[in-house]
Amino acid sequence: MILRNSAIGLALLVATSVQAAEFKWASTTDPQTMDPHAVNSAPVLGFLNNVYEGLVRRGKDMTVEPALAVSWEPIGEGEGWRFKLREGVTFHDGSTFDAQDVLFSYQRASGESADTRSWFAPVSEVIVVDDYTVDIMTSAPNPLFPSSIANWMIMDQGWTEANDAVVPDKETGNYATINANGTGAFKVTAREPGLKTVLEPHGDWWGEVEHNITRAEFNPIQNPATAVAALLSGDVDMINPVPIQDVARLKENADVDVIQGIEARVIMLGFDHEAETLKYTDDAGKPNPFRDARVRQAVAQAINVDAILATIMRGNAEAASQLVSPAMSGYSAANADRPAFDVEGAKALLAEAGYGDGFSFGLKCPNDRYLNDEPVCQAVVTMLAQIGITAELDAMPVRNYWPELREDNYDMYMLGWSPGTFDAEHPVRFLVATPNEEKKLGSWNFGGYSNERVDELLPMIQSELDATKRQAMLDEVTAIYQDDHVYVPMYVQPLVWGTGSNIDLTQRPDNFFILRWVTVN
Amino acid sequence: MFAYIVRRMFQSVIVLLVVGLVAFSMFRFVGDPIDNMLGQERTQADIDRLRGELGLDKPFPVQYFKFLQGAVQGNFGVSYRQGRPVSTIIAERAPATLELAFVSGFLAITMGIALGVFTAIRRQGIAANVIMTVSLIGVSLPTFLIGILLIYIFSVELDLLPSFGRGETVMIGNWSTGFLTSSGLKALILPAITLGLYQMTLIMRLVRSEMLEVLRADYVRFARARGLSDRVINFRHALKNTLVPVITITGLQLGSIIAFAIITETVFQWPGVGLLFINAIQFVDIPVMAAYLMLISVMFVTINLIVDLLYYAIDPRLRVDARAT
Repeated sequence: MILRNSAIGLALLVATSVQAAEFKWASTTDPQTMDPHAVNSAPVLGFLNNVYEGLVRRGKDMTVEPALAVSWEPIGEGEGWRFKLREGVTFHDGSTFDAQDVLFSYQRASGESADTRSWFAPVSEVIVVDDYTVDIMTSAPNPLFPSSIANWMIMDQGWTEANDAVVPDKETGNYATINANGTGAFKVTAREPGLKTVLEPHGDWWGEVEHNITRAEFNPIQNPATAVAALLSGDVDMINPVPIQDVARLKENADVDVIQGIEARVIMLGFDHEAETLKYTDDAGKPNPFRDARVRQAVAQAINVDAILATIMRGNAEAASQLVSPAMSGYSAANADRPAFDVEGAKALLAEAGYGDGFSFGLKCPNDRYLNDEPVCQAVVTMLAQIGITAELDAMPVRNYWPELREDNYDMYMLGWSPGTFDAEHPVRFLVATPNEEKKLGSWNFGGYSNERVDELLPMIQSELDATKRQAMLDEVTAIYQDDHVYVPMYVQPLVWGTGSNIDLTQRPDNFFILRWVTVN
Repeated sequence: MFAYIVRRMFQSVIVLLVVGLVAFSMFRFVGDPIDNMLGQERTQADIDRLRGELGLDKPFPVQYFKFLQGAVQGNFGVSYRQGRPVSTIIAERAPATLELAFVSGFLAITMGIALGVFTAIRRQGIAANVIMTVSLIGVSLPTFLIGILLIYIFSVELDLLPSFGRGETVMIGNWSTGFLTSSGLKALILPAITLGLYQMTLIMRLVRSEMLEVLRADYVRFARARGLSDRVINFRHALKNTLVPVITITGLQLGSIIAFAIITETVFQWPGVGLLFINAIQFVDIPVMAAYLMLISVMFVTINLIVDLLYYAIDPRLRVDARAT
């Protein structure tokens, strides 16, 4: 009897704890600002997705769903998009949301000093039709526009103006750098940059509440071993990421769960397509072999991606055939095969191109940007040695890495790319299109690859409304860059989160942690 | 005396200026902050604009001069990462480091002296030998390993102490203290031990060897002959005479406890200036790095200046030399 009573008591206790719970989580990077337009980086946008909302948002499977807009439709023959706004939405400070806030947020997020400016490059004008209708006009038909603004977050005009934060300022900061006033499911109640940020549910949130959190605290923990210890000791309920080498150990522990997924980021090798000569090693000054597509193909065939995945990534990643993962829209299923691992074939290609005796060159690689980036580069060096070409690896922190790439100080380099729009057009625009500063094309095409057909197809892809025609063009572009071996895509980076075993949550492929999908049992 | 002080002050200022110059010439090699500040959709025009706004397109002596100009007026600029004044950020973070340094320094001195005396008096005993052996570990294991070990034992396995952070803090004026809450005190224990372990073993070994020396001295033998109790001999006569070098070392070590708290703070995610500095390096947050390096060098220069002045007061030979030149 006593036993049964205590069992009921325990059940009651558990039941009450389901209804209300505190939640703590940790990640390596602190969001550097609370201003949704100041910095376009994943830690900031991911965090602020819990606090601010856009007209649209992404669901658990990355599909675009209504948020502050209830519906949207193209205007005329693709002159723009009409958004019907949600009524009865209030900001955290109690003021109401309407079309003026959308116009204001457009002006703020597309201004000179906003980091999010590039999202609005296709926009020609924003027109307030009535209090709950907004027309966003585009200079060319833009079928993907609604899904490209899922991270464009709406701020309250009154609050922002009253606090003198009309222009985002990441250099010197302003009120919106440490304070937030969104419409999202959670509001920021305390913010100590670099230490902790406290979120509490927004009582008047318009959506249906799925979580049971009463208070959530975010702590940045840089040291991976400390983060794992904090999870194991129950000091935090969730960590992102779990170091790959700790995955197996954590899986055996009953108190914690490891949640794995495939991130949107594709890791690849890039080449210098423009340089006449090699820049590194004893062969510096000799003609650049990577201008020959056969040499690039030989590199692709010499790399045993499966071996890299099995050993370095310990089975936690997937091989990639193109610049986007199969989870992205516009993925070219017609081009899903990657070059087979074939040492003899690679050697034959080198001989055919006139490099049968091999050559040596410089490989640049970051050592703190991607998961196990340096070990993967070391493996690449060994694999290339098997076909007789010698890579001299130079691995460096990412803060030194980008300047080196910008100044073309490489013969071959490693790059990871996560498409911000979750569409196959994104990497084509940034990595494959001929660099053009004015049109903002090819800004990460360091190697200077250029193909007329790609440049011709890109604007057509961007404005094509018919999904089948669009996919056909994407297939064509994919086939072009695959046949040319512009890049050697290797694998899609894994996502590994660790949680307490009493936590239910949803992992989104963009590595955003959405608090409103968390249940503490 | 006055001339000596002026000369030493003058030298200190030169040292500071040189440290700053070296620091600024190194920042170029730490990396480029621009890519961290702009997202992946940035254009070359954005890069050039921001570089111009931050003055990063200027040669480093110009940047250094601008920094000095501000620093003299107490303005260390604005953090690239946080977008807030560096002086505010450092003032927020300093209490955490100072409290940690104070507690670990206190632990190191009290435990170091107590264990040093114990191992000197009972130097044949089993306990003393065990302590001496264990202290070898303290000297030879790197700090981060000790920290991780302590976390695994006391927070993961035994679940007694928090694995990271500072617990709850209370604001007294502008000073955030962890001394007044139980979670704050608990959070202090592991980092304080980690940070103080090396200094403790150092002091312990120093006290022990000095003590052994003193215990062989004639006046201790006389004291024994006078029939004084062991306690009076050990603590009143012997210990007092061993403390002079200990105090000198401790004074100098205090500076390094604060300066080298970086590793301990990283392991325990302790929100002090050391962690701030590590973050700043990763982000290439030049204003924060510059201010931190300057502050640390001001601290070392001041400590050395005080020590020099003390020597001057204690050692008459220095005064003679000063007059001769």
